Amino acid sequence: MNGPDAVWYLCLAAFLFCTGALGVLIRRSPLIVLLSLEIMLNGSNLALIAFARQHGREDGQIFALAVMAVAASEVVVGLGLIVAMARRRLDLDVDKLRTLRG
Amino acid sequence: MISTPHVDWFALSPTLALLGAGAVALLGAVLVPRRARRPFGATVCAFGFVGAIAAAALVYGFSADAHGVIGAAIQRDRLGALAEMIIAGAGFLAVWTSATEPMPDDHIAEYYALLAWAGAGMAFLTTASTLMTLFLGLEWFSISLYILCAIDVDLVGSLEAGLKYLIVGGFGSAMLLFGSALVYGATGALRFGEIAHAVAAQHLSHDALLVAGLALVIGGLGFKASAAPFHMWTPDVYEGAPTPVTAFMSAATKTAALVLTLRVLVTAFPQEARLWTLAIAVIACASLAVGNLAALVQRGVKRMLAYSSISHAGFMLIAIAANNALGGRALLYYLVPYSAMSIGSFAVVAARERELNAPVTVENLAGFGWERPLLGISLSVFMLGFAGFPLTGGFVGKFYVFAAAYRHGWTWLVIVGVAATAVSLYYYLGVVRALFMRPSAELQLAPVAGGSPPSERLLQTAVTGALVVTVGSFFAVQPLIEGAKHAAGVLF
Repeated sequence: MNGPDAVWYLCLAAFLFCTGALGVLIRRSPLIVLLSLEIMLNGSNLALIAFARQHGREDGQIFALAVMAVAASEVVVGLGLIVAMARRRLDLDVDKLRTLRG
Repeated sequence: MISTPHVDWFALSPTLALLGAGAVALLGAVLVPRRARRPFGATVCAFGFVGAIAAAALVYGFSADAHGVIGAAIQRDRLGALAEMIIAGAGFLAVWTSATEPMPDDHIAEYYALLAWAGAGMAFLTTASTLMTLFLGLEWFSISLYILCAIDVDLVGSLEAGLKYLIVGGFGSAMLLFGSALVYGATGALRFGEIAHAVAAQHLSHDALLVAGLALVIGGLGFKASAAPFHMWTPDVYEGAPTPVTAFMSAATKTAALVLTLRVLVTAFPQEARLWTLAIAVIACASLAVGNLAALVQRGVKRMLAYSSISHAGFMLIAIAANNALGGRALLYYLVPYSAMSIGSFAVVAARERELNAPVTVENLAGFGWERPLLGISLSVFMLGFAGFPLTGGFVGKFYVFAAAYRHGWTWLVIVGVAATAVSLYYYLGVVRALFMRPSAELQLAPVAGGSPPSERLLQTAVTGALVVTVGSFFAVQPLIEGAKHAAGVLF
């Protein structure tokens, strides 16, 4: 049975990646920003897996598995930082992180 | 019975030395009494870095012929080994710099463990030869650095720096990953050599997927090398992070990211050389412009050095854009004095910071050169070296970079570089002027009470070491260039 063409997967992956990128750029809550980062990474994962199927190779899928592990550890660090900031009652709004003026 | 690829442990030894040192340092957090944790962690970490230097030197010596190891996932060659030596050397100096950092003792063991692991990740990254090991190495050291930036929770801005770096760094990594996926889709290969092979065999060099992927990969690496227009995190993170971490980041991250950029572009995308040389040249010009112009108006020394590091990323990208053997040599040579000057100047800033208990600005450096001659003279030498004065390695480095661009036929790039150097004189000499040519009556903040400044023998040793490398790389050009030639010869 033939599924949809790899192009469709690529379109969905690009859409996810752009949604995530937009989220990182315009949302203010660090939690949502972390979520958007995850969406970007998962968009890339989808593209990797679709291409791995298209080429009939496994290395893309292995790559995607490794990316999942990396993404999880990145989020753990991010959430840890957010918790530490919340404990110190810093404002949880990335636009107000202005002790260091960007 | 499953068949596994042969693992060349020797090729991995620099990474393993640092991983081991990190693990032992972390064990110190539970096994060593609280008072002894700082010296214990520092000693273990320093031994780890020395071990990595020695291991990388051995790998360099025994890898005259470059070849892929462990299923060709990493490359064992002199390019990686030389970069590992620079990274481990930077880490070693960073350990000495952090020895007297007033950091709370509760997380000191973790600090040293993460420092060693970040170095391990960088060492691994410089040898990466597939898109997968590239991404894993990049994230390995990035995640360690996110925590290191935020580790001093009492320091104002440290947490903020960590979170900002995580968000922007994560964005860059995601770009790199999506780019890798596109390249994989276009060529069906993850290994650098196979990508080049597939492009040549299937005439893909103008494939939209491949070109888009290449652009995203360059952008992602640009974030890590803090090249404009991907630099916006740099000043904030450099300013907010604990100063020894900034010192380590500015030297070692740049080394790893730029060496890898050279490797991936030259080995995986030789057919697109016309595209990426131009793209890298444009990024280099943007970095030179942004870095130098923004540095002119900075008062905080750490922010000024951050912008200066952006402009030096520009100089080193010129060497990559040249895409010839001379360029590769120039990049590898430039990294040696640059790393030393960068760590050294941040170490001096750290010393002044501790003395004043306040952020260091150009104003409150006034008279520092007379109070602490060793640190003052060292900082002046580093500034002159950044500006490219003779008797420092910065001069030879710039000379080689411009020679490489000239040989590529890009006189305009040489002119941009020279103009940027001229602009940079203003702020580098401004620091020297503040150090020596202002009466301390202009001093805005008196040193903390208690008379003589705190004794910082370890930090002074680090600064002296950086000074020796900065000046030594000018006089020892021949052996260094010889080494860089063998390393760059792997690619060209």
